[in-house]
Amino acid sequence: MEIKDTTQERVRARDAAMRLLNRLTTGAAVSAVAGVALLGAFSAYTIPGTTSTTAGTSTTASSSSSTSTSSGLQSSTTPVTSSSSSGVAVSGGSR
Amino acid sequence: MNNTVLWYATRGAGAVSLVLLSAVVVLGILSVLRVQTTGWPRFLTVGLHRNLALMTLVFLTLHIVTAVVDPFTHLGWLAAVVPFSSYYRTFWLGLGTIAFELLLAIVLTSLVRGFIGQAAWRLLHWLTYAAWPFAVLHGVGTGTDAWSAWLFTLQAFCVIAVLAAIGYRFMTGSRDPLADARSSFQGAVDRREPR
Ligand code: HEM
Repeated sequence: MEIKDTTQERVRARDAAMRLLNRLTTGAAVSAVAGVALLGAFSAYTIPGTTSTTAGTSTTASSSSSTSTSSGLQSSTTPVTSSSSSGVAVSGGSR
Repeated sequence: MNNTVLWYATRGAGAVSLVLLSAVVVLGILSVLRVQTTGWPRFLTVGLHRNLALMTLVFLTLHIVTAVVDPFTHLGWLAAVVPFSSYYRTFWLGLGTIAFELLLAIVLTSLVRGFIGQAAWRLLHWLTYAAWPFAVLHGVGTGTDAWSAWLFTLQAFCVIAVLAAIGYRFMTGSRDPLADARSSFQGAVDRREPR
C-alpha cells in the first residue's frame, strides 16, 4: 500500500511539474512577444525612426536624400541608424 | 510594411533574443549543477532550457528577417549567412552571424543527440560559451540603442546573470556524484556505437 501511495505521489508531483513547465513556457513566449513590442517602442522613443535631426550629430549609413533647412535642421526620410544619444533633436517634439 | 516598424522590430527582437539566450545559458548551467527542490524537479530546468532555446531561435529569426528585409540597410541575405560579408557595420554584424550559426549548430545537434553520440554533442554544446559573448558583443557594437539606458541595463543584467552562473558552476564543480562513472560508461557505449 505504502509503495502504491509513494508511486502515486511521485506521479502527481511529476504532473504538477509538467503543468508548471507548460505554464512557464507559455508565460515566457507571451512575455517575449510583449517584450518585442515594448522594447521596440522603447527604441522608437529613445531614437525615433523618422525624424528631423540636427546636422552633424547623426550619421546615416546610406546616401539618402536629405535637405538642410534654414533652421539648421536636416530632414531625413530614412531612419537614423547611428547617433550619439546626446545629440538627437526632434523637431516638433517635446525633448 | 512601414520601414521604421521593421527597424523597431529588429531592435526589439534583438534585445528579447539576448535576454532569452542569456536565460538559456543560465538554465543550462543550473541543469549541469543538478539544482532541484521538492517543487522544482531537475527535469523542469532541463525542459525549460530546451523550450527557451527553441524560442530563442524563433525570436532570432524574427530579428534577422526584419533586419534583412528592412530596405534602409540593404543588408541582403548573404550578410545573415556569411560572417563579415556585410558592408554595414561589418565586424559587429559578423559576430552576430557567427553567434547565430553556432546556436543553430547547438540546437540542431541537440535535436539529433541520439545519432551523434553523447561525446560529440557535449563538445558541440560547449560552443555556447563562445556563442553568447559573440551575441553580446554584436548587440553592443551593432545596436543603435546599445548605450541607451534601457538596453544598457538589460545587457548589464544579462552579463551579470551569466557570469554569476558561470562563476558558481566553476566554484562548485560537478554536483553529480556518479559523474566519472557515468562518463566512462558513456565513453564505452560511444565506442561500441556504429558510426
Ligand atoms: C545570437 C544572435 C544574435 C543576437 C542575440 C542579436 C542581438 C542583437 C541586439 C541585442 C541588438 C541591439 C538592438 C538595439 O540596438 O536595440 C542587435 C542589433 C542588430 N542585429 Fe542582431 N543579434 C543576433 C544576430 C544577428 C544576425 C545574424 C544579424 C544579421 C542579419 C543581425 C542583425 C542586426 C542588425 C542589423 C542590428 C542593428 C539594428 C539597429 O539598427 O540598431 N543580428 N542584435
